[in-house]
Amino acid sequence: MAGRLHPLATVAFAALILLFTGGPVLLSLYGSLVPDRVLLSPDKSIFTEGPNLETYRYVFTGQLPDSYKQESANRAMISDAARQVPGALVNSSINALAAMLLNLILGAPAAFVFARYVFPGKRISFMYLILSPLVPAVALVTPIYMMLEFLGLVGTQIGIILVHTAKALPFTVLILSVFFRKIPGEIFEAATLDHCSRFQTFWRIALPLALPSVGATGLFAFMLSYSEYMFAMILSGDAKTRPVSVVMAALARNTDVSWSLLNTGIFIAIVPTLVLVVLVWRFVVEGLIGGAVKG
Amino acid sequence: MWSSNRFPGLWLLPALLPVVLMTLYPIGHALWTSLHQVMILLPGEPFVGLKNYQRVVGSNYFQDALRNSLVFTLLAAPSVVVLGTLIALFLRRRFLGSEVVRSVVLLPWVLPGAISAVLWVWVFHPSFGILNGILHDLGLIDASIPWLTNPRTALLAVAVAHVWTQIPFAVILLMAALSAINTETLEAAAIDCRNPVKRFRYIVFPEIKAMIVVLLVYNALTAFTSYDLVYAMTGGGPGTATTLLSFQIWRESFSMYDFGAGSAVAFIVVIISACLITAITRALPSDLFASD
Repeated sequence: MAGRLHPLATVAFAALILLFTGGPVLLSLYGSLVPDRVLLSPDKSIFTEGPNLETYRYVFTGQLPDSYKQESANRAMISDAARQVPGALVNSSINALAAMLLNLILGAPAAFVFARYVFPGKRISFMYLILSPLVPAVALVTPIYMMLEFLGLVGTQIGIILVHTAKALPFTVLILSVFFRKIPGEIFEAATLDHCSRFQTFWRIALPLALPSVGATGLFAFMLSYSEYMFAMILSGDAKTRPVSVVMAALARNTDVSWSLLNTGIFIAIVPTLVLVVLVWRFVVEGLIGGAVKG
Repeated sequence: MWSSNRFPGLWLLPALLPVVLMTLYPIGHALWTSLHQVMILLPGEPFVGLKNYQRVVGSNYFQDALRNSLVFTLLAAPSVVVLGTLIALFLRRRFLGSEVVRSVVLLPWVLPGAISAVLWVWVFHPSFGILNGILHDLGLIDASIPWLTNPRTALLAVAVAHVWTQIPFAVILLMAALSAINTETLEAAAIDCRNPVKRFRYIVFPEIKAMIVVLLVYNALTAFTSYDLVYAMTGGGPGTATTLLSFQIWRESFSMYDFGAGSAVAFIVVIISACLITAITRALPSDLFASD
């Protein structure tokens, strides 16, 4: 395993992995920075034309890109759907933040009990919780839609938030219980000696000690809600409540839309996820790698 | 670890109830609907037994969709595990920039499926897709290949995109399994056995075999039930070339408004998934979630 590899082979492998996983994202960044005519012509590129931020300006201000005026381009290429992206970004962020908070409030107590207690029914309830996300969502869409319609929540953000919360809860409980288990047991024994109740132990000791991990786990729920598409699509109503995944899918299905505009939309939509990956997400994953299996 | 004689309902139910409401109730509802004739336009919901199932299974559409789903699963699941293992083995080493590569590998995981779909549509695009461009520059092809509109290549192309979205999760779990191997075992192996392939085969593989089995079944499950990525890339076409079983639920219910038939397909998918889930529980190493 720790065997030596030729430095060139290392570079080649690393480059291949980077190209495969990051390549499509880079392509989209490139596509958003040049107008369509540059994309389509083989002898023009960003190096001869320079970056062009007009599509970004259009998405945020509605001012048409100059390149489309001069070329007398098809008006359909500039889709109004692209202008929904910033608003959809706000909707998605509200959904994701709400789902994240609900997840922590509902999931943290359960995770604490799973991590620190043995009780009748523990194994079966834990197994149920961690296996339930494996039931294919696509098979459950219709009944869930009918249930929410009965409650009058279709077309509202509350419906989407509730579904996303329930979808993320198993992961939140699983990851949080790993983190709670990593807290040394002696601390909890000391708490018992000081006559702390179960709730006090949880609220005053476990939660503050695991706070960075709790925050990081919340990001998992955020991520799940931000990228979920199917429920977001059937439960969202008019353009005002549509989250970003739905708007992007609609934009992508529009075959006339300008590629450079589409890529601009993509790039604006993935900025939050890029920030998450770079800043926080990797520490969560590394923490889990250290904790989940070695326990 | 403390013990308690009572089920701590107050602590657990806030987390358990929403999950039960999102799984058990819809499954029960799908079962009930699949045994009744439920159509929006027709009044009443008479019991029809297994008629919905008979009609659905007998249709050409269903057989195409089932075959596509199986081929898609057989293409995607092993590829994810093999590529994931290779990348995880590679990322175990430290080199200049290894941190960057470890971060970038996670990228496909956090992108919304609809966006991954657009990214890959662009890669496969016939006139300005990068793939055709590269193949053309290498002199491998003369005319560009319409990857997503050619029935022969469309399923392969969407499988590549699906594999891309699933690799990060496999890499993370495999790295976790690899880091759990005793380092002394590995050092001894490095001295005794010079051949890295043999070393993997006899020392490393037995240690991560359980994780590989779990991942293989898990990926079979995700591939078999995948929906949004393929739908956003091809909409099931050209023809029925990329129509998966999961679209069929959708089509019966929301385009044909035949909820009985849609639920019958849904219940068939649930049953197949239940078999795969049972396989996962069997394959899970018994100490993975042990209570200390």
